[in-house]
Amino acid sequence: MIESTNNGAIATLNRGVRAVPSLRQGIGFTVFLALIGASGRVVVPVVIQQAIDHGLHLTNNSAQQTVNVSLVIKVCVGAAIYLLIAAVAQRTAVSRLGQRSEAALFELRVQLFQHIHLLSLEDHNDEQRGSLVARVTSDVETLSQFFSWGGLAYLLDGALMVIVASVMLAYDWVLALIVIAISTPLIYVLRRVQSKLIAAYDATRSANSFVLGSTAELVTGAETLHAYSAGAIFGQRVKKSAKARGDAQTKATMIGALLFPSGEIFGAIAVSSVVFIGLWRGSGSGLTAGALVGFIFLTYRFLEPIAELTEVLDQTQTAISGMRRILGILAIPVGPEAPKYPIEVGSGPLDIEIENLSFAYRPRDGESEIDSHAVLQNVYCSIPFGTQVAIVGETGSGKTTLGRLLSRFSDPTVGQISIGGIPLNRIQNDELRKLLVVVPQEPFLFSDTVAANLRFALPRATQQQLVDAFSNVDLQDWFETLPMGLDTLVGQRGSQLSAGERQLIALVRASLINPSILILDEATSSVDASTEVRLTRALDKLSRGRTTISIAHRLSTAARADRVLVLDSGLLVQDGTHDELVTTPGLYCEMYKSWEMSRNSAD
Amino acid sequence: MHDHSSTSGRFHRTIKLLRALISYHPGLFSISMAGAALFAVCTVASSWLLRWIIDEVIVRRFDSQHFSLSRTLTAVALLLGLSLIRACGVIVRRSFAGRAQWRTAQSLTDEVVDVLVQQPPQWHRQQSTGDLLTRAGVDVDASVAVMAPLPYASSVILMMVIAGYGLISNDVALGVAATSVFPLLIGLNVLYQRRVDKWFDIAQGELGSLSAAVHESFEGVTVVKAFGAENRETERLAVIASRVQNARVEAIRLRSLFEAALDFVPNLTNICLVIGGAFRVRSGDLTVGELASFIYMFTLLVFPLRLIGYALSEMPRSQAGFGRIQRLRLSPILTDPRSKYLRAGTELEVKSIAIGHDSEHVLLKNFSATFRPGTFTALVGYTGCGKSTFLQSLAGTIPCLQGDISTPGKQVSLVFQEPFLFGTSVSDNICMGEHFEDNEILWSLAVAEADFVHQLPQGINTIIGERGVGLSGGQRQRIALARAVIRRPQILLLDDTTSALDPNTEMKVLKNIENELSDAVVIAVASRPSLIGMADEVMFFHPEIMVGPSQHLELLVQSGPYRALMQAYERPKEQNSSHSKDLL
Repeated sequence: MIESTNNGAIATLNRGVRAVPSLRQGIGFTVFLALIGASGRVVVPVVIQQAIDHGLHLTNNSAQQTVNVSLVIKVCVGAAIYLLIAAVAQRTAVSRLGQRSEAALFELRVQLFQHIHLLSLEDHNDEQRGSLVARVTSDVETLSQFFSWGGLAYLLDGALMVIVASVMLAYDWVLALIVIAISTPLIYVLRRVQSKLIAAYDATRSANSFVLGSTAELVTGAETLHAYSAGAIFGQRVKKSAKARGDAQTKATMIGALLFPSGEIFGAIAVSSVVFIGLWRGSGSGLTAGALVGFIFLTYRFLEPIAELTEVLDQTQTAISGMRRILGILAIPVGPEAPKYPIEVGSGPLDIEIENLSFAYRPRDGESEIDSHAVLQNVYCSIPFGTQVAIVGETGSGKTTLGRLLSRFSDPTVGQISIGGIPLNRIQNDELRKLLVVVPQEPFLFSDTVAANLRFALPRATQQQLVDAFSNVDLQDWFETLPMGLDTLVGQRGSQLSAGERQLIALVRASLINPSILILDEATSSVDASTEVRLTRALDKLSRGRTTISIAHRLSTAARADRVLVLDSGLLVQDGTHDELVTTPGLYCEMYKSWEMSRNSAD
Repeated sequence: MHDHSSTSGRFHRTIKLLRALISYHPGLFSISMAGAALFAVCTVASSWLLRWIIDEVIVRRFDSQHFSLSRTLTAVALLLGLSLIRACGVIVRRSFAGRAQWRTAQSLTDEVVDVLVQQPPQWHRQQSTGDLLTRAGVDVDASVAVMAPLPYASSVILMMVIAGYGLISNDVALGVAATSVFPLLIGLNVLYQRRVDKWFDIAQGELGSLSAAVHESFEGVTVVKAFGAENRETERLAVIASRVQNARVEAIRLRSLFEAALDFVPNLTNICLVIGGAFRVRSGDLTVGELASFIYMFTLLVFPLRLIGYALSEMPRSQAGFGRIQRLRLSPILTDPRSKYLRAGTELEVKSIAIGHDSEHVLLKNFSATFRPGTFTALVGYTGCGKSTFLQSLAGTIPCLQGDISTPGKQVSLVFQEPFLFGTSVSDNICMGEHFEDNEILWSLAVAEADFVHQLPQGINTIIGERGVGLSGGQRQRIALARAVIRRPQILLLDDTTSALDPNTEMKVLKNIENELSDAVVIAVASRPSLIGMADEVMFFHPEIMVGPSQHLELLVQSGPYRALMQAYERPKEQNSSHSKDLL
């Protein structure tokens, strides 16, 4: 089991390096510099050995010690110079590692931005947004933390262990092998503790995210909690989760507390063995008192990095699980793929052809293929250029999905859609987005000015073009009510504007592209009457001279359309004009009747 | 660089912070400190042991060429025993320091939760969500971050005192020389942390703007895709990410310089100690063992000194986080507007009230009205005229600026247009901590036309939200309605609660409420003509005048603006095909 987790970690690292090859760039020279830097750390034990054996010149009779001060000074000056060189090398190694890793993480971030933007809309639902953001922010952060502390420790301490082991072998290979032999089981012990620690930290993390999640509910749901006087009960829920987090953290610290002492005890065993065997063998094997004392110092230096390495193990675990989550995101196939062999859409009429269209959601984890039922089934339809189409149907009928497929936000499971005879998946995305514009149900506005939000459609649009865009869709009068004109700030998600006004901006934004096909996902939320009038007017203007497909929630929209498509449980059940369908017995007729009834009861 | 007063001020603040943090769990913290003390004593003792082993065991063995088994075994036993005790010290220190740290975090979280729960909605509206979440998350973590290294840092200080005494008493000249390096090293560490932290702080700030931008960009992904702006957005985010990178690289450059210096200084000191030691050994003032133990001791202290620098540099962050939590905790709890309501009679009565979010934006002044049980009142009017604010004032989520409200009973239920559901089961969301029988839950779902719940994987026990099933806007509204209905409220306030339902379902829901809660005062914001048609009375909200409550037809006659608004609803209808005109 331990093997497998460890292999998992190494495999993750390998995949990580493959995803960001620049991580490996120049690592050889960095390691070389680190080795020189680390060799500075054995200078002192060597100096002590030299001083004791030669400078302080211990003879058989300790009363007659002669001390060669000038030799000691010579050795020390040499050592000081070497220390300086080592310090410079170490500095360069640390700086190089940091710069390279930050550059690589920047690359990784950009890769993630790109990839996540290209993921299909199914992977972008509200529930998953937080975790997508976390991948690019906190998970990349754990990697950065790792490279600037843990990774550094591995580099410097790893180098130190290599150097110390070589020096020890040069002094006395028997004692050196004893130290190495005793240290080996330490690695096994550390790995045991480490695997327990991984589990403990995972538990801590999920406990923590539960605390944060439920606290967020207290904040965002404050009004609801107040309205139902349920604050105390839900507060208790958070406190309970905070206690569970405390328990998990306590457990993790307990396991973590065992790591360092295990190094300590192995250190003591190693030094004791060195002392015992060194003394037992005596000078007969060429060992000197200085060498033995120096060896004791070296043993500590050899074990010191092991202890230090264990300190960064938890960080390593965090980094590896962060990396695993990042790679998990990169492994999700991107949404509609870019065409390998794109075809340009000709200048002919841009009729839309829907052939045998079916769609089913990708089964989520834990669901079998059968559980994911079809949202659309065998839809056939052709829409000549310039038609005003309304798609109607009850919630869950598949009309929103059909809109998404027409916009190529997703690709169908079976069948295809083509525009002007070219299948959607053969049209270059840039071209498609100039041909076809989608106005989503809840139009999203960036926390910026009106102008910046409009320029999102057309970055090079001039001030005048933007102003004209308003009058082109008959919104001149509304534009004049904006307090700062184009420079009006819309607030976060457009919160300074009403829902209806956000839709107005979205319409103006879409009009800037001047697309041949307009797909409107009608908003469900109601809009006050004056904005409603403006919306209708703007829509009328905007839909002229193009194909307009409205995912209609209001039958008044359907009544205005040239043609109505009625969907029921993923099947296209009716297709015709409003007038035809109203008189034909069927779903549309029923929907219309009840709608009329509800309207007339108002008068 | 820093004047004395600010330094001592900082020292006082530090002590205050530590005392405050320790006061949460003093017992756990004391045990950890005891472990730390044991660790310190053992560490110093191990250096004395080393001196004894070198002088009395090793040098003697090589001088006399005689191997003494008993002496050697004593040395080994002492070495092992001492490190065993030291290891125990470490385990106690670390595990209890961790326990103290995380239990304190738990206590701080509890305190934040208490505030969040006790403060009424008008307080919540003044705060930013992100800020409050930072209090409970990042600030709690930052506050307690200083606790873990604290016992270790204390043991290092203890070690320094004992060892410093040991070093100086051993050899005054060498001892003074060695200990004088300690302040230099601590100073270097603190300077290092401050200089480098500046860049880490900049990086942190940039990281904040990066996550805000990333969140926005992902949230608006539909728009990004609709305009094929994926690459443009990636580039925009990359610019911010590169600012994070640059600040980090700057920090790393500085750090590598300090790291190298912090390694070089003690090593150089060691070399000087060897030279100095050579003179002392020649003059017979020092044995070789004493010199070695001297160097061992010095080396032992170098690494811990760095941790002191680290702990000191963590202090401002902890201080800031803890300060923010305390300010939140000490902010006065605002009065719950509902506590001022009178409970009398059978009617909902408002007497000369003024409402609005603050006294500068009054939406409704000196307004009085009576709402009888069993009546349905529709609120009609332009956005921003105060329909929602009026409902929220009745429910007590916004305090009235003036006037009195008297309600027949306790149970006032307000349902919001965008209802908030908790990440628990459907039934928990309906019961909201109160106990209701299953058949009551089923009844409330039936009234709210929320039959879809029975199709969910676990029915009413299905977990919804992030860890469960996602629901559509209309489904969420219906669950929120069931939540209000199950309490059989005397007053039911609906803030455009049925806006995401199709008109058919909307009608059914309202009919159900009429039948099942026949004694309730129902007041609803209406933006569809159908709803207005059902109402017994209509209140018309207009920027200049406020009309009603009176009947729809009366209003049509009385009020010009009302007529204009009703006509605006009609207009899109009239543009419909000729067929629909015939039907009208």
